[in-house]
Amino acid sequence: AEAAAEATAAATEAAGNAAAKAGSYVPMKPVPGIGQPIDGAYGFQEQFSPNGHYALWMHNAILMPIITIISLFVLGLLMWVAYRYRTAKNPVASRTSHNTLIEVIWTLVPVLILVGIAIPSISLLAKQYKPAPENALTIKATGNQWFWTYGYPDNGGFEVISNMLPDEEAVKRGEPAKLGVDNRLVLPVGEPIRLQTTGADVIHSFAVPSLWFKLDAVPGRINEKVLFIEKPGVYYGQCSELCGARHGYMPIAIEALPRDKFNAWVLAQGGELDHQPKPAAAPAAAAAPAAAATEAATAEAAATESAAPAA
Amino acid sequence: MAGTKNHDYHILPPDIVPLLSTIGALTFTSGMVLMMHKLPGGHVVPWLGLALLLACMFQWFTKIVHEAHAGDHTPVVQLHQRYGMILFIASEVMFFVGWFWAFFDFSLFPSKIAAEVVGGQWPPKAIEAVINAWDLPLLNTLILLCSGTTLTWSHHALIHGDRDSAKKGLWLTIILGVLFTSIQAYEYIHAPFPFGKNTYGSAFYMATGFHGFHVIVGTIFLLVCLKRMYNGDFTPRQHFGFEAAAWYWHFVDVVWLFLFVCIYVWGNWGAVIE
Amino acid sequence: MATTAETFQAHGDAHDHAHDHDHKPAFFARWFMSTNHKDIGTLYLIFAIFAGIIGGAVSGLMRLELEQPGIQYLTLWATWFDGKPAEMNTALHLWNVLITAHGLIMVFFMVMPAIIGGFGNWFVPIMIGAPDMAFPRMNNISFWLTVAGFCSLMFSAFVPGDTTGLGAGIGWTAYAPLSTYGSSGPAVDFAIFSLHLAGAGSIMGAINFITTILNMRAPGMTLHKMPLFVWSVLVTAFLLLLALPVLAAAITMLITDRNFGTTFFDASGGGDPVLYQHLFWFFGHPEVYIMILPGFGIISQIISTFSKKPVFGYLGMAYAMVAIGVVGFIVWAHHMYTTGLSVNTKMYFTAATMVIAVPTGIKIFSWIATMWGGSLSFKAPMVWAIGFIFLFTVGGVTGVVLSNGGIDDNLQDTYYVVAHFHYVLSLGAVTSLFAGFYYWFPKMSGKMYSELLAHIHFWVFFVGVNLIFFPMHFLGAQGMPRRYPDYPAAYEHWNHVATDGYKIMAVSVLIFFINIAYAFIAGKKAEDNYWGEGATTLEWTLSSPPPFHQFETLPVIEDAHHH
Ligand code: HEA
Ligand code: HEA
Ligand code: CUA
Ligand SMILES: [Cu+2]
Repeated sequence: AEAAAEATAAATEAAGNAAAKAGSYVPMKPVPGIGQPIDGAYGFQEQFSPNGHYALWMHNAILMPIITIISLFVLGLLMWVAYRYRTAKNPVASRTSHNTLIEVIWTLVPVLILVGIAIPSISLLAKQYKPAPENALTIKATGNQWFWTYGYPDNGGFEVISNMLPDEEAVKRGEPAKLGVDNRLVLPVGEPIRLQTTGADVIHSFAVPSLWFKLDAVPGRINEKVLFIEKPGVYYGQCSELCGARHGYMPIAIEALPRDKFNAWVLAQGGELDHQPKPAAAPAAAAAPAAAATEAATAEAAATESAAPAA
Repeated sequence: MAGTKNHDYHILPPDIVPLLSTIGALTFTSGMVLMMHKLPGGHVVPWLGLALLLACMFQWFTKIVHEAHAGDHTPVVQLHQRYGMILFIASEVMFFVGWFWAFFDFSLFPSKIAAEVVGGQWPPKAIEAVINAWDLPLLNTLILLCSGTTLTWSHHALIHGDRDSAKKGLWLTIILGVLFTSIQAYEYIHAPFPFGKNTYGSAFYMATGFHGFHVIVGTIFLLVCLKRMYNGDFTPRQHFGFEAAAWYWHFVDVVWLFLFVCIYVWGNWGAVIE
Repeated sequence: MATTAETFQAHGDAHDHAHDHDHKPAFFARWFMSTNHKDIGTLYLIFAIFAGIIGGAVSGLMRLELEQPGIQYLTLWATWFDGKPAEMNTALHLWNVLITAHGLIMVFFMVMPAIIGGFGNWFVPIMIGAPDMAFPRMNNISFWLTVAGFCSLMFSAFVPGDTTGLGAGIGWTAYAPLSTYGSSGPAVDFAIFSLHLAGAGSIMGAINFITTILNMRAPGMTLHKMPLFVWSVLVTAFLLLLALPVLAAAITMLITDRNFGTTFFDASGGGDPVLYQHLFWFFGHPEVYIMILPGFGIISQIISTFSKKPVFGYLGMAYAMVAIGVVGFIVWAHHMYTTGLSVNTKMYFTAATMVIAVPTGIKIFSWIATMWGGSLSFKAPMVWAIGFIFLFTVGGVTGVVLSNGGIDDNLQDTYYVVAHFHYVLSLGAVTSLFAGFYYWFPKMSGKMYSELLAHIHFWVFFVGVNLIFFPMHFLGAQGMPRRYPDYPAAYEHWNHVATDGYKIMAVSVLIFFINIAYAFIAGKKAEDNYWGEGATTLEWTLSSPPPFHQFETLPVIEDAHHH
């Protein structure tokens, strides 16, 4: 274990501006299976944002059962009909070709099912679009061919340039190949972040599956959405809009830190602290996002988040 | 009875023109690529393709005229032609929807940055002067409206067997069409803003340009009709070629009214956009 | 304008055109100058099968590369293809070229020519009791323009796409600005013109079909007596007619942005890349129904034939397709949920998109109800049709998942989407193609194929394609993005399975070709109505193959139902 730690430290040293300036900052070790895909898995990645919980709940508790039942229902009907009405069993076909009642039923029942889907779906959209509070931290992610730059306008405006690590280097640092980057997007946990995306050349897309977050980075536009990360950790994502040859090689790695560690990191970057009211006991955020939330809006978001999966 | 045609539909013999037209079209588009990228052949190939394409179209329409003379255009076949022309015009309408969509997107719903690029107003800041809608464009509107009237006059005369008036009306329509195109060309030459560089020029020239192209096509169509009229091809009861040209002309006319109202008048109004 | 027979100039039955109805023209005239709807249909089918082989082979290359993480073959292929040692970026660019070619070929040069050009041309005139299409000569140019489009796409593979390598690597959607200043080479212009050419051909085809169906129905064949396949082609033709011109405008803007300095999609001139997406998907969504509606029509014919029953809820079936066509025009932005739409827009498109599940459900359930009480015989086309109903349902319901804007935020541009659209296309549209092929092949060729091989083909195909595409749902849910030649190791397992599935599927396609060869070499002669009493549409009243010109005397449709 010591050797591994040493290797990490050495790698960190070599890892360009962020780490070099960071002093005490040591890139967090990713936890296998958290914030990254799992081989052979069937479902979604574990979620670490309120919207992610709600969406995942909606998928797993509403959509998935409905579409499974519909598919199996259709399959079952087909098999039964094929069995029951095969020529051997039913040599003479009926001539029935109308039945108003049944036609009304198979029109209305899907309508009702869809209304049942639409209601949580619309409220999910409403949640996702709840604007960030006035004083939320603003982060700007710019897609370039083929790397990301992350701007911290509220923290003195410094920029982080983030490139994919070569496979060997990633493995050496204990990061998944094709996902690890030299400089991560470091963000605070437990507070709403106003994430803005834009493209420097062609369209890219900033996507992090474990945060249920995807927003295109379009040249000539600034797209904006709230990102709320519940727990400290490393969350990986990948560029999700075809952007040329190295589209597959511009991953996204978010390192979410408690506020105080985030602040320390910002200062180590030569940045300044943003106008956020700083939660004193930031580490607690890991356990309960509501504790870290100083904004009414945040508390609300967190409340729905904890309510949703139970519903 | 085998081998005897007992219906009024038009069964055609094999024909090489479609294949040749296609070769012309492919040569033209490929040649355009060469030209646009300044590759060898770029000065020749597109024109060869275009020439072949035009020659084929000429052949094609000549055949249709011959077939009309041969009596192949039974009432039901004429009905086909009517449907065909209406559907073709419907598809053309959707083509223009694309250009109008672009225009309204730029002038009504620009993104923040796009709005900044154009200086927060439409027409964009960079456009120092626009074409005054009440100047030549108004004149052109009147010309096209007039041409619609003269064409209708010609049509009515044709139906009533008044060949002289029919010819006069058609002559007038064509002259008005040429006049329109000339004025449009003059306007382009003296336009105070360029084609490229920003959305105003792009939307303006592409929309009006494609309209202008349609006017030219329509004028040629009418010219063909004029020639056929002198040949005595059209009878008071059968003259679908003329009618098709007229429909096309009215369609081009209506598109112009939309262009005039939206792009010249409303689009040059001058308004703040965000 | 009333016109009557007396007013024709020089009208007479004796006019001496060179057309002799009995004899087929000589080889060149017959196949290169054709004005015969059946011959043109055959040309379309041959062309589509050829394109299907190429598109399918390209997807084989793709599956091979995706079998494992890392770049296995692309560098090699790129070296071979570009004729010089390939750099990494050239190899990666080749990937984008492959997927672009695969998508475009499958959509524009395989499914559309086969299902509309091929089966539509062959059977629409026959089913309505017409001797040919309304515009036989225009029919021919529709076909050749499709070929020209394909040639243009092929040219694009051999010229530079951008500084990194040959070919257009812009995705079948050709999003600006990757397709404008993002790829400066001539390859992209060739690819765009390819769509212009094929699109022009399709618009003319659409005009032809609409005119034919509205004007050339035999006496007694009212709209409400038309077979559902004809209905499906009618609706499809309207979608083509109204959607393709918008695509034409959009890609013309691409051309001028690329070459003539316009800034439609260039932010530095106030343009907007998202405008392109609106224009593209205004076409693109109707396009997906263009690919499936004729398939619906084919399935209706087959289910009815082998159930020995008229289609259940005929009117509902016809108007469900009309509804799908109409609603299909107002749902396009569900492809753009992550592009920065406003919340209200997303809510609208979420709701509107879901609506389409209702008429589609009517179709699914009406097919089952047609079988209900029938006397089912499981000939190859029937087995394929039943397979279609199930596989399409699976693809359809994942579409409903994607239609939720908030859910799609995670799934957009992942393999979940790839899984969805292959279930409706490769397992939906293509399955309906095979069903139709087995249904009508003996009618078209006069030869019976081997029922046994056709069944084996189905089952091997069924297993293969499900193995390829079902695991892609898992990959997508886990976050694997599309258009990636290489991926983190954690996506290996399911990718491996998918590639194994491809190998099985490939065997099935081989069986298909063996079966065709068998039919031509040793196939029994097909009777006029080889499916027996259930087959009631007009093509079964003709010989197999039908005479070069059918219905010299128009059939009269009695009051009895003919769907
Ligand atoms: C044949 C082609 C075809 C068909 C028929 C469909 C049908 C549908 N599609 Fe699909 N789609 C594509 C081809 C097709 N699609 C393609 C090619 C893409 C990707 C393009 C690209 O990006 O490259 C795509 C992408 C795509 C997206 C965008 C995903 C993304 O990029 O993020 C969405 C989102 O809404 C969507 C939705 C739907 C829906 C709701 C239907 C519906 O029409 C489905 C309706 C059918 C059913 C629902 C099943 C049967 C119904 C019942 C049994 C009744 C009961 C059911 C319920 C009550 C739910 N599709
Ligand atoms: C109709 C459309 C269609 C069809 C049939 C297929 C078939 C297949 N596709 Fe397709 N695919 C697309 C349309 C289609 N695809 C599109 C639009 C994209 C997106 C491209 C983009 O991102 O831009 C895509 C992308 C795509 C990807 C994702 C690439 C990426 O994102 O990086 C993959 C990966 O595995 C894939 C694999 C396959 C495979 C293995 C098949 C196999 O099923 C292929 C096997 C072949 C056949 C089943 C066809 C055989 C048919 C005939 C021989 C003709 C028969 C004719 C008659 C009977 C008349 N495809
Ligand atoms: Cu950047 Cu894809
Ligand atoms: Cu769609």
